[in-house]
Amino acid sequence: MTIQDINSPPGATGGLSRTRFFLSNEFGLILLIIVFAVIFGLSARGFLSPFNLFTLGRNSAINIMIGLSMMTVIVTGGLNLAVGAMGVSAAMVCGWLIEGLGVPWPLAILGGLAFGAALGFINGWMVVRTGLHSFIITLATMSIFFGAMIFLTRAEAFRDLPAAFSAFGKMKFANYLSPLLLVTLAVAVALAWLYRATLTGREMLAAGASPAAAELSGIRVDRMVILCHMLSGGLAGLAALMLVARNGAAIPSMAGQLGQDWLLPAFLGPVLGGTLLQGGKVSVLGTVLGAFLVTMLSSGLLMLQVGAFWVQTFLGLMLLVAVLLDKARRSYLARRNLA
Amino acid sequence: MIQISRLSRTDWFGPLLATLIAITVIQGFNDNFLSPFNIQILLLAIAVNALVAFSQMIIIAIGQMNLSVGAIGGLAAISFVGAMEVWGLPAPLAVILALVIGVGCGVLNGALIRITGISAFVITLATLSIFKGINLGITEAQPFYGVPDSVKSFGAALLVGPIPWLAVPTVLVTVAMWFMLRRMPVGRFILAVGSNEHAAGLSGISVGATVIIAHAVSGLLAAIAGVLVVARLQIGQPSIGDDWLILSFAAPVIGGAILAGGHVSVTATLLGVVIVAIITQALVLFSIDPFLVQVVLGAMILAAVGLNKLRARQPVGKGSA
Repeated sequence: MTIQDINSPPGATGGLSRTRFFLSNEFGLILLIIVFAVIFGLSARGFLSPFNLFTLGRNSAINIMIGLSMMTVIVTGGLNLAVGAMGVSAAMVCGWLIEGLGVPWPLAILGGLAFGAALGFINGWMVVRTGLHSFIITLATMSIFFGAMIFLTRAEAFRDLPAAFSAFGKMKFANYLSPLLLVTLAVAVALAWLYRATLTGREMLAAGASPAAAELSGIRVDRMVILCHMLSGGLAGLAALMLVARNGAAIPSMAGQLGQDWLLPAFLGPVLGGTLLQGGKVSVLGTVLGAFLVTMLSSGLLMLQVGAFWVQTFLGLMLLVAVLLDKARRSYLARRNLA
Repeated sequence: MIQISRLSRTDWFGPLLATLIAITVIQGFNDNFLSPFNIQILLLAIAVNALVAFSQMIIIAIGQMNLSVGAIGGLAAISFVGAMEVWGLPAPLAVILALVIGVGCGVLNGALIRITGISAFVITLATLSIFKGINLGITEAQPFYGVPDSVKSFGAALLVGPIPWLAVPTVLVTVAMWFMLRRMPVGRFILAVGSNEHAAGLSGISVGATVIIAHAVSGLLAAIAGVLVVARLQIGQPSIGDDWLILSFAAPVIGGAILAGGHVSVTATLLGVVIVAIITQALVLFSIDPFLVQVVLGAMILAAVGLNKLRARQPVGKGSA
């Protein structure tokens, strides 16, 4: 039930899977995105202006990346509370490599991503070694990583980054498309390919669906868990670097206290997109659409002047409604024997 | 020997030993550590943090987690001050209002988890955002300054010697928590649901009611903590509760609580809070960078879960509680 129907191509096997597609998360999300785009386009002035579309694309690129970073760990049935702390740490390492050591920026970016993956390795290794749930491990490492980062940087930002960074953040294709969004989409396609077409990806899913069964089938579950955490760390680093490109500086507080500000976007994308929190089932497209919907809603609500301070309440309500709908959909599918 | 090995199996023995050693060592290096003023500062920190820790502990007892502890505390804190400043409510009524809001938030958490059957993590992540959003929506991120003098003097007053009045509610709550978990049916139900929900249901315990009660208690304790912070800071900050998350897990875990549920200890959790407070204070006394507090806190959680894991491997005999 869990592994076979991942991203099953819509309409490929006749009427049954077409019904299933119309009941899928992805279809629901596309519908919601269209509905809200029409509502905001009609009611909020300037929502469809090139400038707003550009900002929307740039912000959603970052939110989607944060969601993908969390998704890679959820695949194993775990959580990663440290996404924010890891991402910011990786970005600060990149800033330090450039400003402190004078490393050329492409190498520094690679260094930052590698550092994120290394932090992910620490998480994954501890989860595997102690056998404790990743919740408590990443709760502790979130505090440790963030504390160490703040201590080492003295809470000061790296502002003298090469012009290439902010230029990339400001660059526009055809007046409204941000290259950051293209980076995110490329990563999403790569992830979808990983989970659908590669042995490693399939083994990750199997390890998440049933660790015991996977172990018996000869999959190195420990190694897969560590790999997923490393992937998550690298993606978190990438998200933070994109944030650096947008801000033009690497700021220690850009993910809030302990990186907690990233937690909600990190879970909203995968949960809206239908990734199972128990692990073993993943939807890259759903995560992308979910994170995009969230970004669009916050942007639209801000433009409707609902009050910037209420946006967080709406996002929380949305998470709640999304999980309720998902539950209703699942029980409907179960009743009709469709899933 | 038998006495010692029996003691070492209790939850509170290890933390107590660690507390005593920490106090001796730090006092040896710095005479100011046990000065009345320093003890007062320690007690103020412990008074609030213990409530935060108990608020999480009761949820750990039923085998769930509550990410929204800080958000409930913050919402209760700003409604407490807001009611006094905007509506001119007298302080006792405002306290009751804040506590009712806290209980209401808790009941909402519990009911949502119970009715939907969705994991507590997701539900409380959503309500964390909702409560915090309501907090920001009401205050627009500006603090309330209208704390009346009666509340301010309560927050600053000393009971006997270096013991502040703020510690009194915490002591009462600690005793009440101990009594509830040890002597009252509802406390036993909470632990039973935490260790095996299915078995508890079959034994005739109403699992739904127990879960909701546990969340209501959690909300109540978070709200009391929020009110105490207002009395201590003498200002209604919207950011109250933002930094409670790590701490709320650290103390119960140091106190040997098992995250799977069914096993918590009030005494050991209190000692966990004391250890965290002492170490934080020591970092300040030795003028070590305050930023490192986060690192130490995280490392302590890891060390504690590691030790608990080792302890669980020893054969459990008589005397374990």
